[in-house]
Amino acid sequence: MSETDAVRAEVDALLALVRERYGSRLTAEELDAVRTGITGVVEAAHALRKVWLDNADEPGQPFTPYRTDG
Amino acid sequence: MAEDAVFVPVRRLAELIRTRRLSPVALAETFLDRLERLGPRYNAVVTVTRARALEQARRAEREIAAGDYRGPLHGIPYGAKDLLATSGGIPTTWGAAPFKDRVFDFDATVVRRLEEAGAVLCAKLAMVELAGGMGYRQPNASFTGPGINPWNRDAWSGGSSSGSGSAVSAGLVPFAIGSETWGSILSPAGNCGVAGLRPTYGRVSRHGAMALCWTLDKLGPLALTADDCGLVLEAIAGPDPADPTAADRPFRYDGDGPVGRRFRFGVLRGITDGCEDTVRERFEQSLETLGAIGTREEVTLPNLPYDDVTRTILFAEAASAFEDLIESGRIAELTAPEDHYLPYVRDSVLAKDYLKALRLRGVMAREADRVLSRVDALVAPGRLTVAAMLGTEVRSAIRGTTRDVMGAIGNGAGLPAVAVPNGFGARGLPTSLQFMGRAWEENTILAAARAYQSLTDWHERHPADP
Repeated sequence: MSETDAVRAEVDALLALVRERYGSRLTAEELDAVRTGITGVVEAAHALRKVWLDNADEPGQPFTPYRTDG
Repeated sequence: MAEDAVFVPVRRLAELIRTRRLSPVALAETFLDRLERLGPRYNAVVTVTRARALEQARRAEREIAAGDYRGPLHGIPYGAKDLLATSGGIPTTWGAAPFKDRVFDFDATVVRRLEEAGAVLCAKLAMVELAGGMGYRQPNASFTGPGINPWNRDAWSGGSSSGSGSAVSAGLVPFAIGSETWGSILSPAGNCGVAGLRPTYGRVSRHGAMALCWTLDKLGPLALTADDCGLVLEAIAGPDPADPTAADRPFRYDGDGPVGRRFRFGVLRGITDGCEDTVRERFEQSLETLGAIGTREEVTLPNLPYDDVTRTILFAEAASAFEDLIESGRIAELTAPEDHYLPYVRDSVLAKDYLKALRLRGVMAREADRVLSRVDALVAPGRLTVAAMLGTEVRSAIRGTTRDVMGAIGNGAGLPAVAVPNGFGARGLPTSLQFMGRAWEENTILAAARAYQSLTDWHERHPADP
């Protein structure tokens, strides 16, 4: 499957999810705009997935265990 | 009235107040009058906080008369972007119609710290609804109307801190607080020809500020000069038990700095690709000016999807932060028609891709620091274009309709940047120059921006009152 086909297939699947969850609120024109937006999301995701990271590359996000005083 | 005090930097106003040549009450009256009279022309104001301002100004006057001078913000009027919680019955609307009557019973930490510094809250300032987090495509995206640019009233003041930019530019307040997730301080500062400082992520507590993206949101000042931004940052920076991401790193503004210091400036290869011609010309002129105070070298970064990293984080966090509004369908009450349906796009970000973006953020931060460790600041145009015209589509790196590597890295890695005016471009609209530094190096970039402003007079030009 080409990159373009892969993006299109993923967009179709994600758009189906949006249509399932929110379709009753959206016109055909709005769904077209949502499709365009999802295409951007999927293209960004594909760009991220092309970069290989090491197992040690953690999210740049601190998590601190919580405990109240006492 | 103290009309002569309009368009006077905070540092000068502070000296006049400290030496009792300027009354805080008269100063507050002047800016309250301008906010009420001129604010509507720019759609810059949500609420003029007259009662609270006069109470604070009278207190400042009493304290200073008694010899109890708190510092350079004592008695100085300011405006706060309307995503900062304020007590006392003052609405906090987030620029969004569904919240136009909402009131909090506490002050955001930034508002509280400014009160402790003696500053006088004169207005809650207009903003793009929900700080633009729903994907707006054009300026008319706030229940207070599109932000209007004081330099050209057919142009946008920028987003999302629209009122913070236009209010400082039009002389409605000496300084303002804005917020930036990606571009929302530097954009209105650049569009309106004023200085704007995006602090390091965690430098300023976000407690009481609307959350758009927990790992990207920063609060910072807009003012007439970079120097004024430093004065304000010192007042609002610091740890806060109410915001665990607020760093335990005291900040003391070095406003004097070493006189005659030389700087090392870096310019990312290809940084003006896609710039409007006049923006590129002003930037090249700025580089010549910077030659008087430092050296310049071209720098490169590895080929990584910087815009995609920051965009993916922003989309996923914004969708979660406003889950209630999106799921309930209340986004249909927002002003921009596209904000009624574009939020659903963000539901399509997969968890693994969000985490990949967070992991790549770490790589991006290390690479950016590697480059920045060799220079004092990266310099670049503040924006690729001058302000968009009202009624037209806004180009946005967040939506992917333009690129913004400096913004993607700066916000994704949480790095500080300051934008200052560097001339005028198409349609008489301001252009800007940004200095971006290593994490926690606000003093370095402010010193560089201050040195640039000592060689230029763009910050001394102001739009005429309409």
